[in-house]
Amino acid sequence: MGSVVELNLTRVEGHGSVKVYREGSRVERVELCLTDSPRLFEALLVGKSYLEVPEIVCRICSLCSTVHKVAALLAVENAFGVEVSEATALTRALIMQGGMIQDHALHLYCLLLPDLLGVPGLTGLAQKAPELLKTGLAVKRVGNMIQETVGGRLIHPVNIRLGGLGLQVGKKELLRLRQELLSVIPACREAYRLFRTPFPFPELPSPNALALEPCENGQVTSARCRMGGGNSFAVAAYREAVEESVLPYSNAKYSKVMGKEATVGSLARLCLGVSLSTQAQAIFDEVKHEILDKDIRGNSLAQAIELCDAAERALELIDRLLDQAPGALGNVTPVPCQGSGSAACEAPRGLLIHSYGFDADGICTYADVVTPTALNQGAMARDLLALARGMEGEDTEKMTMALERMIRCYDPCISCSVHVLKA
Amino acid sequence: MNRPRLAIAGLTACSGCQLTLLNCEEDLAEVAARFELVSFPMAESVEGGEPFAAAIVEGAVSTPHDLANLFRLRNSSRLLVALGTCAIFGGVAAMNNVVSVREELVAAVYGKGEKKGESFAPAPLENFVSVDFSITGCPPEKHEVIALLSALLSGTLPPLATYPVCTECRSRENLCLLLERKELCLGPVIRGGCHARCPATGIVCEGCRGPVREANVAQELELLLERGFGRDEVERRLRRFRPEWNYGQRR
Repeated sequence: MGSVVELNLTRVEGHGSVKVYREGSRVERVELCLTDSPRLFEALLVGKSYLEVPEIVCRICSLCSTVHKVAALLAVENAFGVEVSEATALTRALIMQGGMIQDHALHLYCLLLPDLLGVPGLTGLAQKAPELLKTGLAVKRVGNMIQETVGGRLIHPVNIRLGGLGLQVGKKELLRLRQELLSVIPACREAYRLFRTPFPFPELPSPNALALEPCENGQVTSARCRMGGGNSFAVAAYREAVEESVLPYSNAKYSKVMGKEATVGSLARLCLGVSLSTQAQAIFDEVKHEILDKDIRGNSLAQAIELCDAAERALELIDRLLDQAPGALGNVTPVPCQGSGSAACEAPRGLLIHSYGFDADGICTYADVVTPTALNQGAMARDLLALARGMEGEDTEKMTMALERMIRCYDPCISCSVHVLKA
Repeated sequence: MNRPRLAIAGLTACSGCQLTLLNCEEDLAEVAARFELVSFPMAESVEGGEPFAAAIVEGAVSTPHDLANLFRLRNSSRLLVALGTCAIFGGVAAMNNVVSVREELVAAVYGKGEKKGESFAPAPLENFVSVDFSITGCPPEKHEVIALLSALLSGTLPPLATYPVCTECRSRENLCLLLERKELCLGPVIRGGCHARCPATGIVCEGCRGPVREANVAQELELLLERGFGRDEVERRLRRFRPEWNYGQRR
């Protein structure tokens, strides 16, 4: 007789569940239901002014509000042909590294570590491994400090704006951030040791990695995306590469990229070859064999390496900003014109694309946001099925726990995934 | 010691209000020690069951599932706290409530016929249940969340700002963006408590904390119209975090 096992996803941002349909012990199919209520951002943005778009759209997600804001600013600037000053570009790069630090630290130490230590969550962690939690929170705090100091507010930053900045980050603040970063650099360099042992699951399919091509010096965006197997596509033409369809049981759209179920995020970035900071590169060289050609379980280790990379890069960026002449803000005022623009950034959990069209008055005529979780949805579903089939006959509780742990390896952000415009 | 049992839940939102609690890094261990976090799906995988001393709820109500969850929380909690602008006013997801038809918005995103009737226009908690206390903000300020938790420990509720953003902005001696730079700043009608975060970095108040008590909306509108802003533009900006405003005699 058929049976359905349902598990609700916890320790992820947003709401979702997994349903496993079984015939006896045989797994027939698996449904990944990302059920956050659609907030319909793309439809809400139509009719709003270009000035409002970045302010509204960063609210898609709190963890990634910084990168959503930056991607939106870049896309609007792309539409109006605005080039920002070096100080602005470096400041944006710095806040993005702050976002990377806080997000990876939160995911690794607060949401994922309980799985490794066999406790159900934060409270258990505070009891079983208070020092580790303290270390993780200290790292996260520095990522937050960068975002708050640079962005003027930690979540939904306000200081980064179209064409420039509200206020230049002062020398005193930069030196303070430098000091704070130095205090957690040792922890960031050691983090990878905690996340080296992957969960003992049956082997999963290997990912089709997708990431932004490496950015040029100090930039946070690039004109092309790269896929495994030597394929690539221009960000401006992403609509031809990314195919989306609506699923009856999920509010996130199912995407295929160049015909494949793509995987985005830390693992994908490292597999496709990014330039890393000195220490992060040294760690990567040491553990490369545990990441390359491995399944999604390697993502946690990849995130730990990126945590080190982000902290070291943030230090470099602070030094570069300290070298900038004072008063070199160089804000540009965008002049609205009819046109469209797209931009792609690497959010902590993977590739993010924003695209907008405007009329001659700068009123938004269309908006499209492709989020990492929506991109990953196909791969998550594929891996869930493989894992469930690999564990047929196992105890149900054991299986659902494994499924949830695997999903968490993707670091999904469900609230961000559920609003993709119909192509 | 009898630790208060807390439920922390998210409805339709970006999880930013819950994240604000997780961002209180220095207080988190203390919070975990002093409260029983019996239901907190964003950070805990087990449910400790009802009843709760307090349920702290973020997000607007926009699905039958949200509504069922809200009723469950209300029925099993002594206090129900609305955390953040979405829970109190509907927030950004509700900005078009008075100007668009929900079905059309859904069709624009998912296509006609898909996802029909699975969600409704986002609404504040108060439309469905009684709310005992509210902390506004998109996201709320950390100090306000900690003030709430501290107050709960002593069986009371904290005092929060009842004055507009302008009060704090003036005490920080910022340039007035509305009068001196003639920008579309909503500070006069928006509830303070954020220490005028945005105007202090030279950026207009976008109104994320919702209306201050006794907001003189008609006067703000008058000021903005005099400065050459269009009525549509002003209304659109006011609606960003709260769909419905009472424009008084300027209607």
